[in-house]
Amino acid sequence: MVERKKIEIPADVKKIESVGEEAEFPFDISPMYEGERIRKNEMHVELGGTEQPGFELVLALPEEEVEDMKVTVVGPDLEEMEEGKAYPYAMIYYVAGSQVETDLEPVIERRNHDFQNYLEGYMHLNQRYDIWIRIGKGSVKKGLKSLVQIAKATMMLFKNELPFIEKIEALYITDATLVEKTLNEVAMPIYEERDARVEALHDEDVDEFYSCTLCQSFAPTNVCVISPDRPSLCGAISWFDGRAAAKVDPEGPNRAVPKGDLVDEVGGEYSGVNEFAKEESGGEYERIKLHSFFEYPHTSCGCFEVIGFYMPEVDGIGWVHRGYAEPAPNGLPFSTMAGQTGGGKQIAGFLGVGISYFRSKKFIQADGGWYRVVWMPKDLKERIAKYIPDDVRDKIATEEDAKTIDELKEFLKKVNHPVVTGVVRPVDGKKITDGWVEEEEVVEEAVAEEVEAPAQPVQQPVQMQPMQMQPMQMPMQLPLQLPQLPAQQAGGVRLVIKDAKIYIDKIVIKKPEEKKKGGK
Amino acid sequence: MVVIAVTGKGGTGKTVISALLVHFLSRNHNLLAVDSDPDSNLPEALGVTPKKTLGEIREVFQASRDEMGTMNKEQWLEGKIYSEAITEADNFDLLVMGRPEGEGCYCFANSLLRGVLRRLMRHYDVIIIDTEAGLEHFSRGTISGADYIVVVTDMSKKGLSTAKRIKELSSELKLNFKKIFLVGNRIMDGGGEVIKSFADEEGIELLDLLPYSEEIVKLDVKGEPIVLMDENSDYARRIRKIASRLVGDGNGKDEH
Repeated sequence: MVERKKIEIPADVKKIESVGEEAEFPFDISPMYEGERIRKNEMHVELGGTEQPGFELVLALPEEEVEDMKVTVVGPDLEEMEEGKAYPYAMIYYVAGSQVETDLEPVIERRNHDFQNYLEGYMHLNQRYDIWIRIGKGSVKKGLKSLVQIAKATMMLFKNELPFIEKIEALYITDATLVEKTLNEVAMPIYEERDARVEALHDEDVDEFYSCTLCQSFAPTNVCVISPDRPSLCGAISWFDGRAAAKVDPEGPNRAVPKGDLVDEVGGEYSGVNEFAKEESGGEYERIKLHSFFEYPHTSCGCFEVIGFYMPEVDGIGWVHRGYAEPAPNGLPFSTMAGQTGGGKQIAGFLGVGISYFRSKKFIQADGGWYRVVWMPKDLKERIAKYIPDDVRDKIATEEDAKTIDELKEFLKKVNHPVVTGVVRPVDGKKITDGWVEEEEVVEEAVAEEVEAPAQPVQQPVQMQPMQMQPMQMPMQLPLQLPQLPAQQAGGVRLVIKDAKIYIDKIVIKKPEEKKKGGK
Repeated sequence: MVVIAVTGKGGTGKTVISALLVHFLSRNHNLLAVDSDPDSNLPEALGVTPKKTLGEIREVFQASRDEMGTMNKEQWLEGKIYSEAITEADNFDLLVMGRPEGEGCYCFANSLLRGVLRRLMRHYDVIIIDTEAGLEHFSRGTISGADYIVVVTDMSKKGLSTAKRIKELSSELKLNFKKIFLVGNRIMDGGGEVIKSFADEEGIELLDLLPYSEEIVKLDVKGEPIVLMDENSDYARRIRKIASRLVGDGNGKDEH
């Protein structure tokens, strides 16, 4: 971690210091100034922006190191600046308080944008190393002389609005050399560190997730739950975006969803999410597992960037994105699958996701994660290649390897994809599929010995569900009436299926003689 | 803030009227001109070269959002709009909405856009929106409402039936507008009577019947900005009258 300490100010640079609260400001302070745009011909000076470097940074420091309400301005102050020109600009805040931790730095830093935009005649745009400020001529005319006034007003707002900040000190720099140096040596490493921390943030590290109901006008029962490990289906909203939006408008489209109790760690099921799903879907869904493909999967709105589809023939999952117009190996293009799955339905066997979900460490972990993935378009695969584990990356086919199920089977066998021999899910080391060979045996057994015993409990393929048919919920223990088998078999079959959803597009019953070896 | 949406059937001259309103009103008012008709060319009529369209910014957002990490996306979008989508002309700002979105989900992007635009727009005294007859950006809520709707029509039956549809549509969309006006344009040989009786029937206030202008046609043929037209021409004087009728006397006072 980058060490948090005060910035060293070289002795030979001009600086001014001021301590204590300002009694009066020559400008108005109110949220109504948010969005105020200062036009070029009304501007006194520009700070940062496209022409000059600029950044803002909040550093959490021990209490004794922070001198409350102190401002230091290093470099030329407003009065020394030439009208109409752009200058380098760094705004650094040292903050302290019993609850102030490094993790809070970005949260506090983001508010600089809000608070500075409350200042009349002061336009603040962008964030981090991109900041762009314009100070209006009007404010200067009204008595704005120094950046000290800006810093004091901003600090006052920080302390009023965020009471956990007990002490705050500001360092504003307009000296070009020091801005550049501090940006490169202190700020950039900290921004990078923050982004790295995001990658390491997981569902278990936070107390609440966020919902998104922006799509409910299209998909009334859709319940998008956004967690650190699961961004929104449209790919647009991360957990951080959800948090930011919920803070601004707690009753808006992104609301906090308390996690509640952990029900299923592997599948990513939480009591809070279930309750929320029930409420938001109008009772349509009672359970949602965030990282499961087959069991209580997340609903799919219609906005999703990518759709996953189960292919029972290979016992694997394929993914196709919106931009790929050709049919996937299952014979269906994105649009057809999306049309059937969208609308806020929870459909086992199909799952809409955002492209950024492929980056998740928990990516469909309950169903084997990447080791269950058998196909995706080349475009999509290239975009996310670095997130695919090395040992399976080359085993996932693209349209260059396979365009049909038969070609896909061939390819998977050739590369010895995990689905061929059985998938062991990395999350807990459990073997979750039996692989093709065993599956064939099961089928053979069921056919050959059907006189003798009830059929084996059906394995994964029971979850298959070709399209063009509404899902049908079977009551438990429903005796399934099979069509009369050709005469040569006597005795018949009794098939008991428990707690299953069955989707059948077509049943082909063949005479045993037609059975082939090799699964093709 | 007064928001004026200028609309009507394509080809009736609504862009000419919008441009002239912008031209005259921006002398005394802090003004934002919005081109929200994908087929229109308000920037050309104003003699301004626009920067990026809002639609283009939205596409960049869609393409780069995965790489934004913990950056705040609304702030990102706002920064891009302020720096790259708003064109600063001498007396006014210009925003071009651009083409509608492509495939994929724009719910989040549009929701952020709405917030940014709402905060931006409230700081202008006058906003003139040149918009297509379908009022798409209003129906999507990208632009939240207009105070006055000015429907431009020529003498054609189609122009009038579009005007009628716009009137119905703006009620359906609950735009909360204060008033809807009609302007007849390119009126020749007593064609104004049809428009007058239409306005009476529909209960729409008729602002003026503008004549066919040789000068506008000439500027058009040469591809020159409409705002170069003679300010003392009959046409320009009538537009100035409409402008002050809509916004006030130029001292920020509303005549309504």
